[in-house]
Amino acid sequence: MVRPVSLPANALRYSLLGGLLVVMVFPLVWMFRVAFLQPGDSLSFGSLFGGGFTFGNFADLFVQTNMGRYLFNSALVGILVTLGNLVFCFMTGYTLARYRTLTNKALFVTVILILMIPAHVTIIPLYVLCVKARLFDSYGALILPWLVNPIGIFLVKQYVESVPPAMEEAARVDGAGEFRILFAVVMPVCRPALAVLAIQIFFTNWNSFFFPYILTSREELRTLPVGLALFQGHQAVDWQHLMAGSALAVLPVLALFILLQRRIVSGITAGAIKQ
Amino acid sequence: MQKLLILIVTAVLTQSVARATTTLEWWQFWTDPDSRPTIQAIVDDFEKANPDIKVNITDLTWANGQEKIVIAFASGTGPDVVELGSDWIAQFAANGQLADISQRVIADSGNFQGWGLATYDGKVFGRPWILGTRVLFANEDLMRKAGYDTSFLPYNWPQLEQAAINIRHLGKDYYGWGSNTAEKHRLYKKFLPFFWSNGAQFFTDDNRYSIISSMKAIDALKFYKKLHDSAGFVGDQRSIEDAFLDGKIGFIISGDWLLKRIEVEKRKIDFKSGPIPGPKYPGKSFLGGEFLSINQASKNHDAALKFIAFVTSPENQLRFCKANRSANPSSLLAQQDPYFTGNPHLQAFIKQIKSAEHPPVDPHWVVIEDELEKAIEDALFGSRLPAQALRNAQTRITQARAKQ
Amino acid sequence: MRAHRGIALALGLPWLLTFGLFWAFPMVYSLFMGFTDHQLLAKSFQWVGLDNYRALFRDPDFVSSLKNTFVFVLGTIPFTTVLSLAMALLVNRQFRGRGLFRAGYFLPSITSLVVISLIFTNLYSRGGYVALLAHVIGLTPPENGFLYDSGTALYAIMAMDVWMAVGYYMLIFLAGLKAIPEELYEAAEINGASPLRQFVSITLPMLRPVTLFIVVINSIKSFQIFTEMFVMTKGKFDTATTVYFIYDTGLTTQFKFGYASAAAYALFAIIGLFSLAQFILFRRRQEYSW
Repeated sequence: MVRPVSLPANALRYSLLGGLLVVMVFPLVWMFRVAFLQPGDSLSFGSLFGGGFTFGNFADLFVQTNMGRYLFNSALVGILVTLGNLVFCFMTGYTLARYRTLTNKALFVTVILILMIPAHVTIIPLYVLCVKARLFDSYGALILPWLVNPIGIFLVKQYVESVPPAMEEAARVDGAGEFRILFAVVMPVCRPALAVLAIQIFFTNWNSFFFPYILTSREELRTLPVGLALFQGHQAVDWQHLMAGSALAVLPVLALFILLQRRIVSGITAGAIKQ
Repeated sequence: MQKLLILIVTAVLTQSVARATTTLEWWQFWTDPDSRPTIQAIVDDFEKANPDIKVNITDLTWANGQEKIVIAFASGTGPDVVELGSDWIAQFAANGQLADISQRVIADSGNFQGWGLATYDGKVFGRPWILGTRVLFANEDLMRKAGYDTSFLPYNWPQLEQAAINIRHLGKDYYGWGSNTAEKHRLYKKFLPFFWSNGAQFFTDDNRYSIISSMKAIDALKFYKKLHDSAGFVGDQRSIEDAFLDGKIGFIISGDWLLKRIEVEKRKIDFKSGPIPGPKYPGKSFLGGEFLSINQASKNHDAALKFIAFVTSPENQLRFCKANRSANPSSLLAQQDPYFTGNPHLQAFIKQIKSAEHPPVDPHWVVIEDELEKAIEDALFGSRLPAQALRNAQTRITQARAKQ
Repeated sequence: MRAHRGIALALGLPWLLTFGLFWAFPMVYSLFMGFTDHQLLAKSFQWVGLDNYRALFRDPDFVSSLKNTFVFVLGTIPFTTVLSLAMALLVNRQFRGRGLFRAGYFLPSITSLVVISLIFTNLYSRGGYVALLAHVIGLTPPENGFLYDSGTALYAIMAMDVWMAVGYYMLIFLAGLKAIPEELYEAAEINGASPLRQFVSITLPMLRPVTLFIVVINSIKSFQIFTEMFVMTKGKFDTATTVYFIYDTGLTTQFKFGYASAAAYALFAIIGLFSLAQFILFRRRQEYSW
């Protein structure tokens, strides 16, 4: 299906793509560069190319904090929450898209409404709730409230709505059960959306600071963003260490993205062929 | 059989010890790798000296610590002991959240500085720990270039203004004065030394009316604005300090953390530190600090008192100041240690503390601070005249205080 | 049909449980508090009816926060939506190095908001890269940096927000593009429709649900913009948005939780109306053009 493209058109396309790429990644290149500067090095334009180079900032993070533990906690919470969301958001999103009953409509309203309340007024009652339910300062507080994300439900719902229902009907005619249809027929078709969902949920959790910080106290439960925030001292922003920590934090999500982006590419064609 | 007996006895013993143990929850802010180990060491020593008390530390960030404290206190689950900045104490105390420790600290009152910041309604609600003040930093290199003798340090406002302008005239990239941008919780601290040094006050003597727009206050703001307009490098505290360390600014007001930065980053800069100038002679600086308070709802007031006395003892303050390179211990005994007397820069801070003033301990302080800061912003960055801006603030402060 | 209803409910159960256990109480609690004078540190509070809501709309800080929020929402959503769609189309087709470009464009979306805000604080500062760039193209950047100037601060944050968000929405558009059956394009091709015509009558209508998602989610998020301001400007220089106002009055400065809750629900109502309008505007069309 790839059309032959003329050389000038190709050059235009690549310069457009390339220019955009520079704009998109430059600030993050700066982040990675600063992560390798010596403390006290100037952050000015020159230092981006010249300036010192050291792994010391990364080493400091591991030596001076319990970085391994923070990484483990973030990974554990991130993976569990992501898996939960993949299954639960898919189920809920699917039912909201295909079964347009009154209860479901009401359910969808709660999904959207909860998104519209600023976290700053829900944190206090949630805190009280976690204390009363003995979830405060436990993995439970980091995981349970976030197992089904409204954005995920909404994403799946919208995606399923854009998929023609022909396949499910065909399967239904073949006598397949509803759960089988759901997980064996619809789920593969939704792979692009689920891949987006997985990345989105994982990185939201991975970077989440406010709730984990408020809902836990013990060092053993600290996630990466909380650990990095506590590494900062009283007055100054320590750019070098901060950027080292941030660079470290970006890498796993980037890896996940590269892993999953094929899924987004392959998508429906694989499922559609079976039809 | 004997083994079993020993096992049982030890089990019973440990059980009974465990039963007698009090656990204190302590929330504190010193989490960076320089100071956190010392915090832990002090707690370990305390536990060793008091085997019946165990202390759990919860670390807070400077950016979001207040929220966590407020949420916990609001839901009745606050810690036994909490580190509070001086500007929060009145609000917590006025709402009955903190234990009145007046009677328990009388014996110590002469040995520590800063009680005034924790005294609300005649009662003491916290022990002073680490105080914070600011001094004037001057770049000797730039002063020399502007034609000043190395022994010179501006002493009063006219000298400061003249020197700042002379340095500004050295070139496009040189500035005389580091002027804070509209930075919450920072800007007002820079202005207050000028405000106080000129004899201005927040309230009338009977504490009933705000007089924040008195002639003295207006003149102070006018002078502050003049420095800002004629020689100011405007930025947040961090970028002002960066520019100062890069040799671009003649004079800035900063705290002890700058000394630490210069040392850690091995900066080569010829600088002097001294008291902040006043209208005619050296003026007053800003005094704030970190205090240890006890939750009124705590069931362990005695153990908590013992603990905060231990943490703020002269030896432990000195230990902590050395690790964290803080220059402002509240203990007078610690202040006389050779560690401080032997270093001219640290000494500048110790001296400045003596003539530093603190903001009123008022449950509406946050509103007052906010309005004062808005007034300074309006005068520096907006279009209001200093008198107009301060009068506005005065009206709003009066309204806020009248409400309750 | 009854069986179906059972299945529908069973599938929605996880959300129902999470919502019921963790989120229903916080919602109701803060709604209730909006009608009281609850101050966080005070030991008691009183019912004040609609007083908070009345006071809000007379509070100049709240009104200006609403204005800033609307500027932010209306100024970013169109750019983010159009740009992310354009980027999705650009990297949808197979070409050499596609993965690299996709990953590059997406990178900002997986970096923590706090970190990005810090990076841009530096880039926007006096003498920072953006000022340098402005000089190069012959503009005069504000003297104290972009964030310390009432004329530029909010726009600077908006530009950053668009930059940060486009990668994520590009990805969603990409997923949406994959849901469009190839046959539609093949049929159009046979009928001799031009690429532009195909885009207008196949791609755009087929992307309708996904676009609705993007516009609604992005609006809701943008109405609640906060972290950027918290890190970069602390609400100064005309950047205080409504959630910043809520945070400031409720959790830090004055602890007026009742008042802040009322502000939160006022904002909630505004977002609700805005989303409702979007749902109506994008109402699902059952029939497809091809």
